[in-house]
Amino acid sequence: MSYQVSSSPTESQALYLDPAIRDWVLIPIMVVMVLVGVFRDQVTVLLSGSGPKKPVLKAIRETRVLVRGATLRSYGNHIPPSSFYSRKSYLANAYEKGYYLKNPIAMNQTVNPMDPQGMEMMMEGMKKNFAMIIPQTVIMGWVNFFFSGFVLIKMPFPLTLRFKSMLQRGVETSDMDVTWVSSLSWYFLNLFGLRSIFSLLLGEDNAADGMRDMTAMPQMGASATGQPQNYHKLHLAEKENLELTPHAWELEDVEYRLLAQYGKRPRISITETNERNEGSSSVSEYKGKGRKKGGK
Amino acid sequence: MATQTPQASYVPENIVYNSKKITFIRSSMSAITGSAAGILGLTGYYGFIFYGITSVFTSFLIWAVKTQAKPSLYFRTGSDVWTEGVFGGLFSYVLFWTLLYGIVH
Repeated sequence: MSYQVSSSPTESQALYLDPAIRDWVLIPIMVVMVLVGVFRDQVTVLLSGSGPKKPVLKAIRETRVLVRGATLRSYGNHIPPSSFYSRKSYLANAYEKGYYLKNPIAMNQTVNPMDPQGMEMMMEGMKKNFAMIIPQTVIMGWVNFFFSGFVLIKMPFPLTLRFKSMLQRGVETSDMDVTWVSSLSWYFLNLFGLRSIFSLLLGEDNAADGMRDMTAMPQMGASATGQPQNYHKLHLAEKENLELTPHAWELEDVEYRLLAQYGKRPRISITETNERNEGSSSVSEYKGKGRKKGGK
Repeated sequence: MATQTPQASYVPENIVYNSKKITFIRSSMSAITGSAAGILGLTGYYGFIFYGITSVFTSFLIWAVKTQAKPSLYFRTGSDVWTEGVFGGLFSYVLFWTLLYGIVH
């Protein structure tokens, strides 16, 4: 390898690197990361395909009825008032009486934390998460072991000196530009940059995403220690939410909107709407206006 | 109770689908423009400026061709077309930029 290092700090240092470095380090690390990512995604598909045991019908109903309540709350304005109120009263009654609970007898008892199905699902999730983190750490160790002690590539953008110790691990010169980095930093660069490539290759929601695992780890730790939910309390809370939901039918003045669209009536704003509702004399006012404009 | 002329309500699945499309377009463009920047030998701030220019150009293409200059039909606000997915594309841009720069120069 031939070196030609200029020592003046203003010029950028030019190092001539052995092309063997490029062939045997740069490309292989990238290829390995891509392949491992694809592999992990497929393994996840395999693992979850054989899948958790089919949950019992009643367990599904418990959760889905909560979703039904939430849907009613958010889209209630699309249905006429009578339908909305009938649905609301039916659901509120069902929540209170516990029609949808898995075992109605246990309504007022504390939940058994060793509920077997809940535990199984938690274990599945944790197993999957750990299976994801392992390849990350393995590759990092592999890169560190084999590819340390030399600079790999020049970063095209300037970095501050604080990054030097992180990016140039293993190379002990003190005045080399921070732009020359070691292979570990190439690993990190790949880690961040390949995420979008994975979404291109594998479609959305793929499991090859190392970053998502790392951010999900602390959240998973917090929730896995919680007990399986007490559905009775959840149902009661949903009932409260439902009772508080107002209803404003979006199609209430649809006749006026239709007529306004075809130009038979001028478009009305809110204040005119209120006036129209309060006084019937204003109706004839509008009719007059329409006629004056000329036939359409 | 009469309501006012309603604001348009959006179907969430459609918005998500549109966002995915935009992310796809941006990731592809970032990879390509990153390679271009590496081959061109851009360094430092020029590289980031180049990314800014190409992402604005990409947004313009999306706006003109895909949404036919009416982005409010497809997204919650019209300006989503210009800003969505830019940061995610930055990382792939830097990756390909570094790769091609290292290979070529």
